[in-house]
Amino acid sequence: MSYYFAIIGTQDNPLFEYEFGTSKQGGDGQARFAEQARHLNQFVLHSSLDIVEEVQWTNGQLYLKVIDKFFTSHISCFITGSNTKFLLLHQPPGATTTSSSIGGATTTTARSSTSVGANPTSPQTEEAIKAFFTEVYDNYVKAVMSPFYKVNMEIRSPVFRQRVAAAGRKYL
Amino acid sequence: MAASALGRLPPSSSSPSSPSTTPSSPSSGLPHLHNHPLAQSEITLPLRDRRSTPTTAAASLFRSTLTPPGSRSASPASSRILGPRSPARSSATFPSTMAAATPTSSTPTMAGSVFGGTPATLKTQSLLDHPAAENPGDPLGLMLRSFVPHVAIHTSEDVDELVADKGFARAGAGGTGGGLWELLRPFGEHVQGKVVVRDSNGAGKAWEDFALRFVRFGEGIEEPEGAGAGAGANGQAGAAAGAGQKPDALGLVEKVVERHLRFAEEAHIGVGGGFGGGAASPPLTPLREDDVDADATSPYYALYLRRLLSGMPLACHESFAHPVACVMAISSRNPAPIEALQRLYRETTSQGERGLPPWVDGEYLRYYVLVHDEEKGDITKSMALFDQMKRNFGLHCHLLRLRSSQSAETDDDSIPLPRSDWMTAAEELADIEESDFREDFEDPTRYIFESDATAIRTFVREMVTQSLVPTMERNVSVWNDQVASRRRGISGRFMSLSKKWTFGGSSRSSTGGSSSSNYDALGFYRADSPEAIMRRLADFAFMLRDWKLAMSTYDLLRADFQNDKAWRYHAAANEMAALALLIMPQSMSSKTRLETITQLLEHAFYSYHIRCASLPGAARCTLLAMELLRLRGGAGVDEAVQWGVRMLEARLTGPVGDALLRERMAVCYASKRGAGSRAWGARRRKAALWSVLAAEAWVAMGKHVQARRCVGEARAMYARLPGECGVQNFAVASDFLAELNDRLKEGLRGDGAGGAGEDLLGGDLDGKEDVEEEKVDVERETLGNKRRSRRTSLINPVAGGAGLETAPLKDMAAEGGGDAAPDDGFG
Repeated sequence: MSYYFAIIGTQDNPLFEYEFGTSKQGGDGQARFAEQARHLNQFVLHSSLDIVEEVQWTNGQLYLKVIDKFFTSHISCFITGSNTKFLLLHQPPGATTTSSSIGGATTTTARSSTSVGANPTSPQTEEAIKAFFTEVYDNYVKAVMSPFYKVNMEIRSPVFRQRVAAAGRKYL
Repeated sequence: MAASALGRLPPSSSSPSSPSTTPSSPSSGLPHLHNHPLAQSEITLPLRDRRSTPTTAAASLFRSTLTPPGSRSASPASSRILGPRSPARSSATFPSTMAAATPTSSTPTMAGSVFGGTPATLKTQSLLDHPAAENPGDPLGLMLRSFVPHVAIHTSEDVDELVADKGFARAGAGGTGGGLWELLRPFGEHVQGKVVVRDSNGAGKAWEDFALRFVRFGEGIEEPEGAGAGAGANGQAGAAAGAGQKPDALGLVEKVVERHLRFAEEAHIGVGGGFGGGAASPPLTPLREDDVDADATSPYYALYLRRLLSGMPLACHESFAHPVACVMAISSRNPAPIEALQRLYRETTSQGERGLPPWVDGEYLRYYVLVHDEEKGDITKSMALFDQMKRNFGLHCHLLRLRSSQSAETDDDSIPLPRSDWMTAAEELADIEESDFREDFEDPTRYIFESDATAIRTFVREMVTQSLVPTMERNVSVWNDQVASRRRGISGRFMSLSKKWTFGGSSRSSTGGSSSSNYDALGFYRADSPEAIMRRLADFAFMLRDWKLAMSTYDLLRADFQNDKAWRYHAAANEMAALALLIMPQSMSSKTRLETITQLLEHAFYSYHIRCASLPGAARCTLLAMELLRLRGGAGVDEAVQWGVRMLEARLTGPVGDALLRERMAVCYASKRGAGSRAWGARRRKAALWSVLAAEAWVAMGKHVQARRCVGEARAMYARLPGECGVQNFAVASDFLAELNDRLKEGLRGDGAGGAGEDLLGGDLDGKEDVEEEKVDVERETLGNKRRSRRTSLINPVAGGAGLETAPLKDMAAEGGGDAAPDDGFG
């Protein structure tokens, strides 16, 4: 299971990017995206902003769950009050890489299906991602409250990065 | 260099910059003339003048894809419309497509799921009332013209001789020519004037674009999979057998399109971008206005679809290719005409040596034609013979008066006989290969006298309006009364239920099964079984565009076929039910409707792909569904793309089809309109993503002209985003884009080295600077910087210019006016 997490500002500009892998079930926390898939992840994430713009009006929640799917990649979204989007691209493990010509994930070693994210739309996964988003949101608000931070500025705080990594380890 | 290349350009491949002028050209009072390939008698520059490069000799073969995408790519002849000598008749190819494109921009309504609702106008309309339906290059039009009545042609030898005198190769043993069939074929593609068709309720409706397909009698028969496979309950055996015996129709289609693409690349080398720039790669022009042909069909995609749909085999599971009528022709040279006709008739019956297989209904209409030789024959004798024919065979007769000498291009009253739009992939491939191997390749265009063309047109129209359509209408009403309506009643439902349940327990053993259904024993339904008749009824209704009747009949059939485990039939019935439902005016709410359609398509796809291993079937089903869903707009667009992804995932197509499909998905997404000033609910980023993916695929194949177009489209899409910055802020992605651009330039330079050298060198330096500048910008940009947006908006046009440098001067000039491009040394 590999994750690509990005915070997108109001101008389609990434404020923060982080790639990581699962730490559950003996995972080492490293992302296992294929080399040629790394640009694709960005393209896919960017393109699902279209869907975010539409789905955000359907309910009042901040957490929008899985909003988009591109071959084997699923995209979950969390939108903040200031129209900043948290997007998490996740690829279930052992997904057959039919899209390898398009640059899909390398198949990670198949783990038992009970692991978080084996089924991206299952309630457990949704809950785990929600917990992750909530914790990141918590830290994001704190980071943004810095007096030197302006809207749509990149978040370069190492502390924030550490905390996101910790949240990833904890929940995903 | 480029200028002289442009000078050689025939008007047929008029450049994309001309649409701005053409709409103002005097549109004649003949609005639909341009639909007809034969409507124009004017010819522009003869082909031979174009033989400046070795490959252009074959230009006529590829003419259909050298037209700008907006125009009717379908017809080779119509691309010549804009001839200088015929201002009055050069009726509106461009205006019509423009007109077709613009009304779709009607303000979208916020209905349904947030922005996903279909425009209110579409809800109550049939898709046929959609403006796109009038655009002949459009996939819907293509689809309508592919499911048309087939008319078989069966002639005596003397007719072949007569037609051979006109310069058409003789049909028959060993000959590759088609005889009378070849002469008639292009005329079936559009029946002149309106054809009034009555639906099952008796309401008449006039269609302007009625068409029929002439086929050679008894050709293209596809045997059903053996009885054993059919009886096998799981269908796996059938799948294996099907994979082996199919020569892969998709592969042929792929090859043909590949040849066209290669020609476009070579043309690009040959005339240094002048040719390619003018014709094959129009839109680097950023699409500034909201909908400059956002849904224009790429000529290659249209070609792909057309070749996929043409050459429908005479298969058992659908009756579209079954002859609705058979033309039996003799000529006035025949010494014993009545006997000859009787012999022809006997040959076409099931007892005859050329009889059709048992799953084809033998009771099709026989249409008797006497071909009169205007030059050598005696008209009084022919008239007398014709009267005798009428007495013997009834009213379905026609006297066709043709001149028997060959017409030359230089004759005053000669017109070119266009190549058929609907030749099969195999035929076209053979043509292309012949042109490659033979040095003395002759221009394949044939010429006929205008009087002959008029006579044939009259003949086709008379046959359709007086014989063919009435016969089909009568058959539909008879079958509907006798077979289908019984099944529709409550007792009919009981009948099918009881059939299912009484045998349900025992039919697991094959003996019980075979007695219960008409299918199991043979592996197909005989023509006289109720299922086959109903399938014919539904197909006839579909061809006569009575969608409601067709839909309800397909729906009945679906259940039957599923009970009998006739999977190929099941797939076809599901497919057609979905298509009919998509075309029909909508009555239910769009959500339930979409669900129904999805389910139907799901069944069709699964049965075609997994159970029958019929890849062409699966591809046809998905592509058509995708197009129709796209036209439905709103949530249908997302659905359409999902089907496209399904098709990519299933790897139905080869690399060319793959890239075309990606391109098409971009078009799908681009055609979704947003609401409000920020276009909420549009899919621009998605469209751009698919354009980039398509460009990647094209570059991998070395098709740089195509790739350049895709990159241009992606860039235009990104430029239309609210922030105007696209993926620029994503480091890896924008690096990738820059690299793709470099590879593309590399490729184009390699191709065009002999050609537009100056342009390249001039633009090249600028290009490198641009890229570097862009990179530096990306690096040093702090994201919160307020000046960023201003700077990026400056970068964008320059980056656009960087891609343009290999485009012909003309394009630059056309563009320089409105764009910020003059900076890069061209202004």
